[in-house]
Amino acid sequence: MLGIEDCLTEVMAIPGALDAILIDQTSGMAVAVGGGSRHVDTEKSAAGLSETLRATLDGLATTSPGGTIRISDMIITTDNGHHLLRPLETVFDGPLVIYVRLDLERSNLALARHRLQALSGRLITT
Amino acid sequence: MATVESVLSGLADDRATGTLRLGKAGTFYLTGGRVTYAESAAAPRLEDLLTAGRRVSAHAVRQARQSAGEERRGGELLVAQGVLTRGELEFCVLSAVLDAVYFLFDATGHRPRFRPGDQHWLGPQWYFDVTGLLRECRRRRTQLDQAWPSAELDTLPVVPVGRVPCQRVVLTSLQWEVLVGADSAATPGDLARKLGRPAYSVLLAVRQLAAAGLIRTSAAGPGEPEALPRRTKGGTDDVRSLAAVATEPPGPSAPLPPTTGDPTDVNLLIRLRNALEALS
Repeated sequence: MLGIEDCLTEVMAIPGALDAILIDQTSGMAVAVGGGSRHVDTEKSAAGLSETLRATLDGLATTSPGGTIRISDMIITTDNGHHLLRPLETVFDGPLVIYVRLDLERSNLALARHRLQALSGRLITT
Repeated sequence: MATVESVLSGLADDRATGTLRLGKAGTFYLTGGRVTYAESAAAPRLEDLLTAGRRVSAHAVRQARQSAGEERRGGELLVAQGVLTRGELEFCVLSAVLDAVYFLFDATGHRPRFRPGDQHWLGPQWYFDVTGLLRECRRRRTQLDQAWPSAELDTLPVVPVGRVPCQRVVLTSLQWEVLVGADSAATPGDLARKLGRPAYSVLLAVRQLAAAGLIRTSAAGPGEPEALPRRTKGGTDDVRSLAAVATEPPGPSAPLPPTTGDPTDVNLLIRLRNALEALS
């Protein structure tokens, strides 16, 4: 069982992790920050990332046959890294989103996804 | 008069531990100068948020609350019993506190009273500094205004429109819950308590629904002037009838929000004045 800060420490322990943010999707607030994110404007990043997730959800919902959508994780690769977003359903509000940016050269996407999945099971049990 | 912010900042400098009560509006809990818990009359309690999802039983929460003491805090008991993971508890406290604080900073007409020593039964789970709380509240206020720049819906019953003014609608899960829960009598605050969702999240969902045209708003959109009351014959009677029209509720069942210093009220008064000037 993990606390929020421990969770972030473990996310940063994923090979190739550059920075990580825990985001409250509803309000777009940065709940906790790890790694290099401490240097950027996390408030803006968190708001932007939750907006990215929202837009993707809206877009995919209209293209999915049933019209509903549930994202397990989302990977976006840009020239400054792989960006992984994993929304976690919580009992009261949320979702809570784990965001991690991975180094293009030093990371293994499959491993990172696997680690995030295991982590989220220990952070939140649904 | 001292504002809540200044009182809190003073307590933070003194590294005070105890409760700051704002009359009926709610209470801040401080531990070593930092806010560790807050509750507001306008937001659902943490207990309500926890038990609304049915995964956590009201019994387990009550038990932890009763057996919580100095050496073993309620939060630790809940985690030890396997009711919640530490992460869930922390996130729940975080949501509940930020939700309550949003409404506490706006609360007026009370005298803050500090009682040293008092602690919340959960114990400190997350520490907030006052400037961080103020910044987050400002951010949330901007977010609400970006969704729909009028506070008039915040205290009125939520009434979904019968027919949707478009071909297709995409909703978030919370927007769905709000629409399903809306019975044309419940205000956003009532819905938050009923759904067990933070009041701010519900407020945001309501404003987003208003922007999408899915719930009923007053005849005109924000910023657009509403139709003025029709001019009637007769001299001085006009003033009285205009005033009467202005205080009448917008719909047959919708009660007016309580009187505030709210800009929408001010706008109404300005329009009234203009109407009266046009009459003379």
